[in-house]
Amino acid sequence: MADSTFLQLEEASDFSFQNLPFGVFSTANKPIPRIGIAIGNWIMDLSELDCFSGPEMAKQSNVFREGELNAFMGLGRNAWHETRQTVQRVLSSAEGYLRDNGHLQKRTLINQDDAIMHVPARIGDFTDFSASKRHAENDRIMFTDKSQRILPNWDYMPVAYHSRASSVVVSGTDIRRPNGQYANEDGNVDSGPVFGPTKKLDFEMEIGALIGTKNALSQPISVDSADNHVFGFVLLNDWSARDLQSWEWNPLGPFLSKSFATTISPWVVTAAALEPFLCDPICLQDPQPLPYLRSKSIKTYDINLTTSLQTEGQTEMHYSSSVICQSNYKVMYWTLAQQIAHHTSNGCNLLPGDLIGSGTVSGPTYYSSGSLSELSERGTKPITLVDGQRRAFLHDGDEVIIRGWCEDKSVRIGFGECRGRVLHHRQHSPPPFP
Amino acid sequence: MPAHQPSESFILVASGSDFPLDNLPYGVFSTSANPTRRIGVAIGDQVLDLSALTDKFLNHELFIKNNKNVFAQSTLNDFMSLGRDAWATARQTLTRILSATEPDLRDDESLRGRAFVKQSDATMHLPCHIGDYTDFYSSREHATNVGTMFRGADNALPPNWLHLPIGYHGRASSIVVSGTDIRRPVGQTRPDESKPPVYGPCKALDFELEMAFFVGPGNPLGQPIPIEKAHEHIFGMVLMNDWSARDIQKWEYQPLGPFLGKSFATTISPWIVTMDALAPFLVDNVPQSPAVLPYLQHTDRFSYDIRLRVDLQGTDLFGQRPVSVSNFKYLYWTMKQQLAHHTSNGCNLRPGDLLGSGTISGPAKSERGSLLELSWGSKEPMDLGNGVTRTFLRDGDTVTLNGVCDNGSIRLGFGPCTGKVLPALEI
Repeated sequence: MADSTFLQLEEASDFSFQNLPFGVFSTANKPIPRIGIAIGNWIMDLSELDCFSGPEMAKQSNVFREGELNAFMGLGRNAWHETRQTVQRVLSSAEGYLRDNGHLQKRTLINQDDAIMHVPARIGDFTDFSASKRHAENDRIMFTDKSQRILPNWDYMPVAYHSRASSVVVSGTDIRRPNGQYANEDGNVDSGPVFGPTKKLDFEMEIGALIGTKNALSQPISVDSADNHVFGFVLLNDWSARDLQSWEWNPLGPFLSKSFATTISPWVVTAAALEPFLCDPICLQDPQPLPYLRSKSIKTYDINLTTSLQTEGQTEMHYSSSVICQSNYKVMYWTLAQQIAHHTSNGCNLLPGDLIGSGTVSGPTYYSSGSLSELSERGTKPITLVDGQRRAFLHDGDEVIIRGWCEDKSVRIGFGECRGRVLHHRQHSPPPFP
Repeated sequence: MPAHQPSESFILVASGSDFPLDNLPYGVFSTSANPTRRIGVAIGDQVLDLSALTDKFLNHELFIKNNKNVFAQSTLNDFMSLGRDAWATARQTLTRILSATEPDLRDDESLRGRAFVKQSDATMHLPCHIGDYTDFYSSREHATNVGTMFRGADNALPPNWLHLPIGYHGRASSIVVSGTDIRRPVGQTRPDESKPPVYGPCKALDFELEMAFFVGPGNPLGQPIPIEKAHEHIFGMVLMNDWSARDIQKWEYQPLGPFLGKSFATTISPWIVTMDALAPFLVDNVPQSPAVLPYLQHTDRFSYDIRLRVDLQGTDLFGQRPVSVSNFKYLYWTMKQQLAHHTSNGCNLRPGDLLGSGTISGPAKSERGSLLELSWGSKEPMDLGNGVTRTFLRDGDTVTLNGVCDNGSIRLGFGPCTGKVLPALEI
């Protein structure tokens, strides 16, 4: 099999022949959501292909007609592996099956511009972790007004909370500025809270992992087998309302400050495609984790991440000039395998389609901070954008775009975009505060 | 106003039954003869199989969704999504056909043979697919007890407690139906702050006496449900045991809230008692001071007199012991306030979402809804007689939650919400 596709791809395309991410899409002339693979500027519609004849997939190819990846993921790693091989063969420059069949190409290859993308899986539960020490420290200062360092449990466990599954949306969905309760900032300590639009809307640059293989209730996943349960990865924006969060978080954690929206990129980059980019984390873990979190080989992925902020009314600007932060997944203190082992250590059951948020990817330097809260030091030092505007937190009309990619000398794979534009808040009746 | 005369069914309902004709809670069941999960209604000691009635009594077009009858489904989500008109129509129909004076089902021997199953022959399942599960913290007594134990009486309630119904997202995947065994969880704890944390079986396993309601129609993302409409989205209630690992919870919970201390299991009772059935038991809301913000204000009553009891059974105990007696009416925050708050930021609820009340504790010591409170952080072990005490749960303990409404003329209940503790698995 050749190591290239017969299709003409743009140089440095995110969706190279080595990538082959899965997504759920629909089109105007066939509005039923179904499963496809991104390749260059195309989508290969797996529901239209008749070539899944291997032992794993021969009787299962109807899973590609589903509007979610759950059934396919639930078939297990052997099925994912066989499917990847089939897709590579079909797209290969050395195979005539699709290459020489114009009719089939017309039916199965769709321009990405003609497709509507959907959330790629039915998400049963969405858990968000906290795995960047700098981000956790920033939170500590912001929400407790204390300059003390993070709490002692952070060093021993990948701290996490359950977030809201229903409000996970696909890239491109507009984000309505939420209303909520927050402390009155009139300086009067006896003033009660107010209700109104958040004044501290923020983004959080994260990676999301999709669970592919479940574990039974009361059967934990060991740290050494955790990677076997992961199907693939997306970019994730954990939109946050910091003033709502300050007021509500004590004692049961973030709730409405997070649940108004979470955006994910539509193309799930598989663990198989990411294999060439396995690497050591840059953090040494100290203190040494407890045995259930200790792995013989502790690995993460080298994934470059950037966030761009484009303001309302700006003409389409070149992405790179509006980038406000740049980081890498490998800076995270806790690995995904440790997060999964911890998550299931009490017997909790993960299901195919569960979404695991990495936590804000903030590296050791200022410019690698993955949220406005850190970049603007909790709003005290607004950042200056390329067009001269200043930002402490997000304004209506702002568009946040997260991008991610992996590259070495020979291969480049990317995640596409995770984008969302802030809409003005909804007027709430009755009036917010007399 | 004349006292309500409870109507009679042609199905025999024993005195003291949870399931008189005035109840008609919905559930999902299967039998060994027919393992397909299907929707039923509890009446007396029977289950009325609604999937058997879709041609004759439940064929109203109101019950068709996506070209399918909602009562032919294996979960209640579609029926719940239809809203109050459909729920009322179904209730009217079922009340009528089960009535002792109506011949349509009563005298149809063939259909009766197919449509009724003994509850003792039925296996109950989760009544719907639960997309998201939220747990609130709405008992002032519970929050005060817990706060006092951890922060002292002066700082018991956090500053936000009286202003908003505090809640957090729980784990949907580990919600199980009554009767499921509960495996003692393993996890990190830090019993001695001067030493590193340790990993092992939970030593402070607890129950939490709660109730929960199911969402009916949902709301689109970005469109809050105003409080005056909140009741249109509330389908019905179940009992809920929010099993808790207090030592795991204590070490992990700051700052992101309880996580593994809760997610190993949550048990609910199988029969969803509708808000219509609970209407006779409405009582005044607990007065709120300071006044809440306008988006949380409602004057209509939405508190319910539901008598709750927790029974404990153990290998060292002879028979069951009541360990807590409480009431849903003690809760400070109403379900309408919880729902309106939950969607106030635009968050979208979906049919089948579960919203838990939080531990329900009353003012008296015997009304505390958890062992943490009953044993005051294990400082005052509960005396269960014959030298048997409890601070937290032991392997082999069975905890059963019970809920009953009784106004002197109607008595209805929720069925049991029970679970037995199994020892932790070898690490």
